[in-house]
Amino acid sequence: MTALAPLATLSRRRFQLTTRTPRELLVPLVTPMLFALVIAPALKEALHTGTAYEAFVAVGTVGLLVPLNTMFSGLSVIVDRENGAQRELLAAPVPRSFLVLGNLSVALAVTAFQVVALILFALARGIDFHTGAAGLGWFVGAGVLFAIGMYGMAETLANRVPKQEEYIARVPAIAIVPWFLAGALFPITALPGFLTWVARFLPLTHGLALMRYGLLGDASGLEHIWSMGSNTAMAALSLGVVAVFAAALTAVSIRVFARTALR
Amino acid sequence: MIEVRQLRKVYPGDVEAVKGIDFEVAPGEIFGLLGPNGAGKSTTIGMLTTTIRPSGGTARVGGFDVAENPLAARRVSSVVFQEPVVDRSLSGRTNLELHARLWRVEPGVARQRIAELSDALGVADLLDRAVGDYSGGERRRLEIARALVSEPRVLFLDEPTVGLDPRIRHELLEVIGRLRAGTDLTILLTTHYLDEAERLCDRIAVMHEGRIVALDHPQRLRHELGRELVELHVRDDLPAALAVLRAHGIPAEDAFSVGSTLTVPLRDLSAGEAIATINDLGVATAISAREPTLDDVYLRLTGDRLAPAA
Repeated sequence: MTALAPLATLSRRRFQLTTRTPRELLVPLVTPMLFALVIAPALKEALHTGTAYEAFVAVGTVGLLVPLNTMFSGLSVIVDRENGAQRELLAAPVPRSFLVLGNLSVALAVTAFQVVALILFALARGIDFHTGAAGLGWFVGAGVLFAIGMYGMAETLANRVPKQEEYIARVPAIAIVPWFLAGALFPITALPGFLTWVARFLPLTHGLALMRYGLLGDASGLEHIWSMGSNTAMAALSLGVVAVFAAALTAVSIRVFARTALR
Repeated sequence: MIEVRQLRKVYPGDVEAVKGIDFEVAPGEIFGLLGPNGAGKSTTIGMLTTTIRPSGGTARVGGFDVAENPLAARRVSSVVFQEPVVDRSLSGRTNLELHARLWRVEPGVARQRIAELSDALGVADLLDRAVGDYSGGERRRLEIARALVSEPRVLFLDEPTVGLDPRIRHELLEVIGRLRAGTDLTILLTTHYLDEAERLCDRIAVMHEGRIVALDHPQRLRHELGRELVELHVRDDLPAALAVLRAHGIPAEDAFSVGSTLTVPLRDLSAGEAIATINDLGVATAISAREPTLDDVYLRLTGDRLAPAA
């Protein structure tokens, strides 16, 4: 057996628990689907915009789906703690970081499933994505790194708050407020000046700009952040920001788990 | 197999739950930690299973220091916690298989162990049901089977029978008693059921307010109270009654009380002589004599001692 075999076991456990509650798979998908299938077409009609706007919003809804899903995944940490299962895992001969990484791997898989479902719905509605292998690479890289960072935030929060109610009360502030500021529905340059500056520091702004660059070939989001000539350089810089966000939040989440789970 | 030296735990707020305890458990021994709620028993098990961080001292499980080599200490041990610790939505079999994988038991060996243990513990017919549908006793037996799947050298049982009805408790005690048959499994269990400790344990340590206040074989602890004791239901205040007894030659240094009942271990005095004297003094509404039990040892060590005040 390899050193990573226990990590695979922990991922398998989390996956088995997740599949027993299909709500966890479907509920986070409802709001983004509503945006992609109902709100975006309605906005297009009301604002007299074109299909490009629908594509813009379709990618923007990924920026809502990822935080919502990863934050809901974090609830499983509190459930494990409340039903005692966490103690059995803490007594297992596996590094404590694996307990976090096992949850993360399933949160990533479920989020990927939902993002793919969202993209397929958008394609079915006739939204046109202009992408190639490189573009898909930027999209996947941004999506995966952003999801890792958001799960780190979810795990950290779940280990800091004692009850599910308190956790859920904080989800809107973490998952939804940044979405309004990060250029999901309109370019960040449409915000008041100081909020445009705030938006440039949000990992989600970088993630969305990268995903649009990758999936739509639209580099305007990157330009609004960096104002540079080279699209590739801007994309690399934004990917770096999202990577730092992912690495930092994962490290913090493991540290917070280790400190709080052990009394 | 277990060595504990000056082990301490101080929780935030300066709450000292364990105050520097020492003990050793030999291979194959069943060792009991007794004490009232809050005595520090579960905290001690938590530190030995590396789920609670010690504040001081050292502890070794299977030769491995729990602070310096926690993974190795966890690999040679298993624990059944006081509260239910299972994935309720998963089947019993899946819970056992997950444990086996985490402890790196080869799949073929794990399958065989699961079949043997589920038979031995009477849960074979339940294995494919969700654990949420199990009764308390069934779940507890599954947890013991799970702890044994990895063939641990050390098994920690934290109040294994708490909350179970008497029949299931009796069955479970039989199961625990059989566990070490043919193996050198070392068991450390905590309980506040004294009959359990007397029935199962080779040695017991009584914990009180974070300290070990007695450690010996159950029979020896009982014999410390002499061959007989008398129980008095006292009419007035206990210290005054005790003072009267002492003034009339009744040896009351080890006396202890529960409610209005005063229990006086007799050393050299016979029960007949003691009862006759006490009857003449008129301090008791009822008197009886009997042999000491482990309950008396426990109550004397963890309850209100009256002698110093008398």
